[in-house]
Amino acid sequence: MNALLTSAVAGLTAAGAYALLGVCAVFTFRLVAVVNFTGAAIGTAGTFSMIGFISLGVPLWPAVVLGILVGTLAGALIGLVMTQWFSEATATTKAAVTAALLVGIVALGLRLTGGQSPKEFPTLFPGSAFRLAGVEVTVASVLTVVLALVFTLLADAFLNRTRTGLHLRALSERPMAAELLGVRVRILALLVWAVTGAFTTFALMIIAPQRSPDFMSLSLLVVPALAAALVGAFRSFPLALAGGLTIGIVEGMSSAIDGISQYRGILPFFVILAVLLWSQRGARWDEAR
Amino acid sequence: MTRTLDVSGLVINRAGLPVVRGVSLSAQKGQISVLLGANGAGKTTLLEGLSGIIPTSGGDIALNGRSVIAARAGERARAGLSHVEQGRTVFRQLSTEENLLVGMAPGADLADAYDLFPELLNRRGVRAGLLSGGEQQMLVIARSLLTRPEVILIDEMSAGLAPVVVQRLMAAVRRLADAGLAILLVEQFAALALRIADHAYVMRRGELVYDGLPQPLLADPDRLHHLYLGDVQAA
Ligand SMILES: Nc1ncnc2c1ncn2[C@@H]1O[C@H](COP(=O)(O)OP(=O)(O)O)[C@@H](O)[C@H]1O
Ligand SMILES: [Mg+2]
Repeated sequence: MNALLTSAVAGLTAAGAYALLGVCAVFTFRLVAVVNFTGAAIGTAGTFSMIGFISLGVPLWPAVVLGILVGTLAGALIGLVMTQWFSEATATTKAAVTAALLVGIVALGLRLTGGQSPKEFPTLFPGSAFRLAGVEVTVASVLTVVLALVFTLLADAFLNRTRTGLHLRALSERPMAAELLGVRVRILALLVWAVTGAFTTFALMIIAPQRSPDFMSLSLLVVPALAAALVGAFRSFPLALAGGLTIGIVEGMSSAIDGISQYRGILPFFVILAVLLWSQRGARWDEAR
Repeated sequence: MTRTLDVSGLVINRAGLPVVRGVSLSAQKGQISVLLGANGAGKTTLLEGLSGIIPTSGGDIALNGRSVIAARAGERARAGLSHVEQGRTVFRQLSTEENLLVGMAPGADLADAYDLFPELLNRRGVRAGLLSGGEQQMLVIARSLLTRPEVILIDEMSAGLAPVVVQRLMAAVRRLADAGLAILLVEQFAALALRIADHAYVMRRGELVYDGLPQPLLADPDRLHHLYLGDVQAA
């Protein structure tokens, strides 16, 4: 029992990161109507930039800030591609484009970081925050969960309480009608991409030391992220948050069980499959109605 | 004298075919210009080209004497060219009031919208998707007004609405013109629109076939019918 709890708690950092990435995916989908496969890759690019700055002699925290800045710019750059050339495309085409961009970013990233050889990652938040039923809860895990919660609450408040949020909600529903009312749709779309770039980068920086820290594996964290977003039907922030946390914790727990621990990476796929089957059922029901 | 909206020789292609073929028209401060024409004549295409939704391939569009042909839709909107699209494009998930706030320009006042359409006041908290067709049409016109435009292009506002609601909308549009706006009103159903108009255009297969006062058309429905359909009888 205690072993299970220990591993559940160990899964918390990943859980927080999945949740944050999932919420970011929902944010992007709701506001610019793109299922974004590049989310984690953008964060990875920012994280590796941080490593680059550190190796150039930049102290840790300035390097973190610079890395986040790179992630923000990378996000805005992807956003520029999407708004410039694919704003009229269907959701399927847009998703395919980001999947292609993911492949491109990973190839470029692997080339620049020297293949898949793991790097030393600084632990931004070392140490344990408190003990839970005799189990150490790390600062990093508390922080990612808190960050995911904060982003969820901020996104919600921002969308519902601010004028820019109102513009974003209008834009997400009818981009052309919003533009015809003078809303600055391009700038807003870029803003969405930039903000998610910043948050995913920070999430990736926190979780990277606990992962096999190569460009490819980190970029593929988009899989649990999209699974989490799917739990929220790409609409609900709280459900995506819950989905991400659950996937991370269950993944952590399964690592304690002999015989299935090797397969825990498959968990997000099961979640995706289950949710898709469930939603298909709904679609059929809609048709039958 | 420069006109509020001045369009000259506008050409617009759709799927490679010319749908608007060299149209010149204008809209004046304080006036309603009505643009009539049969289904498929190219009226909506013309308005979409004017507001920048679709690209144009020739001619010029000037707002207060300055060309906006190179400007994107958003820039044209911010320059004072407003387009109330066909099909009541409310933001369905937003409340009535939120719809009004989206494009509200500095200096505009929500009260102006509710003053024009008091019906909307007690529907302010309702999601726009739940409004009736008439209320949605009022909402998109009021929403346009709050952007503080100089010209409003209105496409088929009466489609599918009860006659009493159409009368109500026509009166409101007249009021907007009397308050100093330039209105270009596209309608398929002519009589009511001609009655509130100061100027009339009739479009057939991408070209203007009438450019003059509304009265002659009102007085002679046969002539209007002929303008709509062209020389089918003669052919
Ligand atoms: N999206 C489109 N793609 C291709 N052709 C179009 C499109 N929209 C309209 N058309 C064509 O352009 C012509 C004019 O249509 P439209 O501007 O909608 O006319 P109206 O508003 O006067 O009824 C029609 O022949 C129509 O078939
Ligand atoms: Mg039309």
